[in-house]
Amino acid sequence: MSGVASPFRQAGAERVDPLLVALWIALIIVAMVWIAPFVFIIFTSLKSNATVMGTGAFSPPTSLAWENFTNAWRRGDFGTTVVNSTIITVIKVPLGLMISAMAAYSLSRIQIWGHKVVFLAIVFGTMIPFQVMLAPIFKQVNSFGLINTYVGIILPYLAFGVPYQVFILHNFFRDVPKELSEAALIDGASHFTVFRRIFLPVSLPVLAALLILDFVATWNEFAMALVILQDPDRWTLPLGLMSFQSQFARDYGQLNAAIVMTVLPAAIVYLIFQRYFVSGLTSGAVKE
Amino acid sequence: MQGLMLLAPAVLAYAVFAFYPMIDVIQLSFMKWNGLNADKHWVGLDNYRYVLADDPVFWVAFKNTLIWTFLSVIFPPLIGFGLALGLNQNIPGRSPLRALFYMPVIIAPIAVATMWRWMFDPFFGLFNSLLSAAGWPNLIQDWLGDRNVALYSVFIGYVWEVAGFSMVLFLAGLQGVSQTLIEAARIDGAGRFQLFRYVTLPALRPTITIVLILSLINSLKAFDIVYGMTGGGPAQSTQMLAMWAYTQAMQLGDFGRGSAISVVLLLITVAIVIPYLRWTLKRQEAYQ
Repeated sequence: MSGVASPFRQAGAERVDPLLVALWIALIIVAMVWIAPFVFIIFTSLKSNATVMGTGAFSPPTSLAWENFTNAWRRGDFGTTVVNSTIITVIKVPLGLMISAMAAYSLSRIQIWGHKVVFLAIVFGTMIPFQVMLAPIFKQVNSFGLINTYVGIILPYLAFGVPYQVFILHNFFRDVPKELSEAALIDGASHFTVFRRIFLPVSLPVLAALLILDFVATWNEFAMALVILQDPDRWTLPLGLMSFQSQFARDYGQLNAAIVMTVLPAAIVYLIFQRYFVSGLTSGAVKE
Repeated sequence: MQGLMLLAPAVLAYAVFAFYPMIDVIQLSFMKWNGLNADKHWVGLDNYRYVLADDPVFWVAFKNTLIWTFLSVIFPPLIGFGLALGLNQNIPGRSPLRALFYMPVIIAPIAVATMWRWMFDPFFGLFNSLLSAAGWPNLIQDWLGDRNVALYSVFIGYVWEVAGFSMVLFLAGLQGVSQTLIEAARIDGAGRFQLFRYVTLPALRPTITIVLILSLINSLKAFDIVYGMTGGGPAQSTQMLAMWAYTQAMQLGDFGRGSAISVVLLLITVAIVIPYLRWTLKRQEAYQ
């Protein structure tokens, strides 16, 4: 397409389009509204309580109160919650993607009896919000004696991660040319080999997208952790932040430091892997 | 055999920790049980009778869920659509703007709740500081403490959180609109408005459906943000069905009543999901 290089012009046109300039200004204004909460939180996180009460909301902190971060870290027991969140995420995310990919391969390439019904049941799961049935999930985990354990939270996380990932990967695997896998199968390769040597490598971009999306979702999950991890020693970051808010809501600087520390890992991952987010989201929903 | 081995881990996890609780919740809704001891007995429709006729909170939560869902299907998609239309034009700074608008989506919802709770702080929060600085002290509110305002205050935070999600889906949809079609229409003398009305909008129909349905389903998942911002208060004025089900079962220790609420919500969800799934699968087959 021509004309993309110089901004504010319609495709192929030489003249600056005034409507596009107006649109751009509108977008910048909306962007300022969108960014304001971030600025406000970061500013507050660096102010002492006296400064918060004494100065305007958007006046930048004059002396940086870094001790908010160390104090919040200590009082909010971030040492524990960060470790718990990390252990759970590091085990759940790759394991979940692995079992979803295996299942998606099996459903798209091997005709097992009943595979259509299984697929439908799984796709149905993509649409049911688990927030609706926290109590029966608690009951099920409890019946295995797994309340307050890593396994007890990882298993339902795996279960609720499966539908979306299987749905996306099934779509993707279905489009891999048949010749590729059939030649290998005729040569005596097992399905395991075909899956590992052919399907995994060709689907790396999709797998990467799903990995990143799932990392953020797992890192941020709150409701299920709330019912299953009741012991403060097993709390994840979101649970820790919630408890920090209810205990120290009047320590404005520290509360906002706690927010920044909770949000930062996911924000960094997002900024680094931005393009995967978009492809991971849209490959499922808007496939044309 | 190999197919079964590949399929088994995902299906097992899904069946035990996602699908079974969905069935179990129906059974539990006919029981009287506190979730912990062995005393669990059948009470028929008692829980439903209580929830639908005697529970003073259920219908408040029901009404709030309706309002919330209604607003969620209108505002975030509209804003997302506007942003996507703007960002799809030839203007500078598109990717940083897109990244900014999407940023709140990847932040833990519980952190979003904490952020907004601080911004709504009646004394030092962002909104009241801005209003008093702007010279409109009569607009100052107790945003989360006034039962007539609280639900809408929470919703404003929710819009900030999720509008970027609709935006990304719409952007993907817009990129799928055939450029040749637009070019052809332009050569035929179609104006800007006509292009939008007769080319872009019809081409976006599937995307619009997807965004609306996903917004609807996601609005039922809005548990964290309400829990974190108001906990359902003041005076149950922000109580929702999903959270009321959680509160009945996990906090008031009545799994039967909690499950009955869950079943009502599940039925509503399924009534929306089934037609949508049929539509998706049909589209998939057409695409194949």
